[in-house]
Amino acid sequence: METVFISKLKPFLDAVAEQMELYVPKKTGRHFVYSKYNPSTETVVEFNNIRTCVPAKEFLFPVRELAATSPKSLDLKDIKPFAVFGLKDCDLRSIEILDKVFADDEFQDPFYVALRENIFIISGDCTEIGESCFCNLFNGRAFAGGGFDLNISKINDGFIIEAGSQKGQGFIEGHRSLFADVPEALLAERNENRARVQNQLEQNNTELQLNTTLREVVENSQNSEVFDVESQNCVECQACTRVCPTCHCFYLYDTKLQSYFAKMKMWDSCMRTGFAAVAGGANPHKVLGDRIKHRFMHKFVYFLDRYGIDMCVGCGRCVDADPSEMDMRTVLRKLSEEFKDKKEANVTK
Amino acid sequence: MNQNFYQPINGQIVDIIDESPTIKSFVVVPEEEFKFETGQFVELTLPGVGEAPFTPSSSPADSEKMEITIMNAGRITALLHQCDKGQKVGIRGPFGNGYPIDDFVGKEIYIVGGGVGLAPIRSLFLTLIDRIKEFKSVVCRFGARTPDDFIYKNTLFGSWQSIAGVDMKLTVDEANNDWDGNVGVVTTILAQDDVDVANSAAVVCGPPIMMKYALLKLLEFGFSDENIYLSMEKNMSCGIGKCGHCMLGKYYVCKDGPVFTYGQIKKYPEIWD
Repeated sequence: METVFISKLKPFLDAVAEQMELYVPKKTGRHFVYSKYNPSTETVVEFNNIRTCVPAKEFLFPVRELAATSPKSLDLKDIKPFAVFGLKDCDLRSIEILDKVFADDEFQDPFYVALRENIFIISGDCTEIGESCFCNLFNGRAFAGGGFDLNISKINDGFIIEAGSQKGQGFIEGHRSLFADVPEALLAERNENRARVQNQLEQNNTELQLNTTLREVVENSQNSEVFDVESQNCVECQACTRVCPTCHCFYLYDTKLQSYFAKMKMWDSCMRTGFAAVAGGANPHKVLGDRIKHRFMHKFVYFLDRYGIDMCVGCGRCVDADPSEMDMRTVLRKLSEEFKDKKEANVTK
Repeated sequence: MNQNFYQPINGQIVDIIDESPTIKSFVVVPEEEFKFETGQFVELTLPGVGEAPFTPSSSPADSEKMEITIMNAGRITALLHQCDKGQKVGIRGPFGNGYPIDDFVGKEIYIVGGGVGLAPIRSLFLTLIDRIKEFKSVVCRFGARTPDDFIYKNTLFGSWQSIAGVDMKLTVDEANNDWDGNVGVVTTILAQDDVDVANSAAVVCGPPIMMKYALLKLLEFGFSDENIYLSMEKNMSCGIGKCGHCMLGKYYVCKDGPVFTYGQIKKYPEIWD
């Protein structure tokens, strides 16, 4: 795989957009959100310093989609290749998590798989850290290690582009005239940048260093009061599950469209009161604290048991999105302290 | 092309049987071949309205049609209860695991059921009596709130009482004048010497409260956690272990269940909630 240099982003993005639909991060207020790239009107191309506000999961797992029709069965439509620029390491790892559920499982989700096969991923290094970033707790980094087609690193005089897949390599080979070779000095600059931001990330989260695994902490919190106490800070807006790049619960509902019946698939949230309720009235998670606990158990225990990885990438979006004081880092820290105390108490006994 | 598990196949309700004041059985004929194993469930769709999970109550050996016994308990079931013969429906599935019939061979099978929980049990029972010689015995202990609340009355009070190899006892919470059987919850007709515990498998299906106390009784009799099979009721929706509504600990009831051994799930606190 090749690594090449380009001094400006626009010609590169124009070349991508010539081949397929391209979505790029755009600064809206304080945040970056994705919008469709139009080469003829786009004059300023932005390189997002940190992850976008809304996760990239929407490109693979749309908020709402048609899943089935009757009486005539739904024909699965062909998906055209499309590109998304601006994903960070946390986003790439969240796609790895979604792949486990929707693509690598014995039951594949055909809609996800079709989009996944056609997405062209252009990731980028983080040039700084967000206040709420804690990806290092999950072995995340300020730059991508894999899972991209092309990765872009911003340096003083331009950008270093690295291919991470055959598709990405093919793109570089098909657009030779756009790129130049990378001098060693620029690679060194890239590596210094990466080390600097990585260091910031770790400095930012020193308080969150746990002496044991998160799994052990969370699994032992089954009877903890922390969830009920913290739930007093939760206004049940469900924003945390919407912006989470790994949350993937959905709701199937039936409706009537023009001349046929449709089954729709729509994002759902385990924070919703009736999420797990059955028709007979039973509801294992009636109490908000229990729903929050379930969310933590799912992310740090159950998913790990099932798929071998945590269902959290530490992107901190849930922290940013929360309109109140609910903070996943605080909950984890409190649980961890409680676990430590419990362990010490057991030793003294 | 990938299979679309969200796509139902078309079917039709061809007959409706009143089982009890709140329970009806619907005979559904799928338009395409549809096979299931006893204990697996299907998502039954009222087109344009919604779908809900049910375990068929008929024998999987009947490949032409399937019976689904439904209690009027929620939004979809209330609407299903208003349907007439001829109603078009959608069927997705079958989903999840079935009862491990082959593991039951040579054993006594101790079936404890209550209320509409007899629906999956009927399918299991019909499957077992088809191969009755392969099992040491089938011991049934069923309960209902009142005699009227028993479903499958014709066969339950009739032919099922006299099948060689089957030992059947019934109980009601409240008797009426015609009832001369046991009165009391289902645990009152469970006895240590009903089966040879060491060579038995127990199957429990019914309302959560009944399952909880039946389970305690079985454990008291000495059943091992791995020999108690529980049919779990959670909010199964997608059927393929993705949408998250039916999680029970690390399990998706729709994909890893609905039948679990007690040993699989006992560490999770929310089993009966």
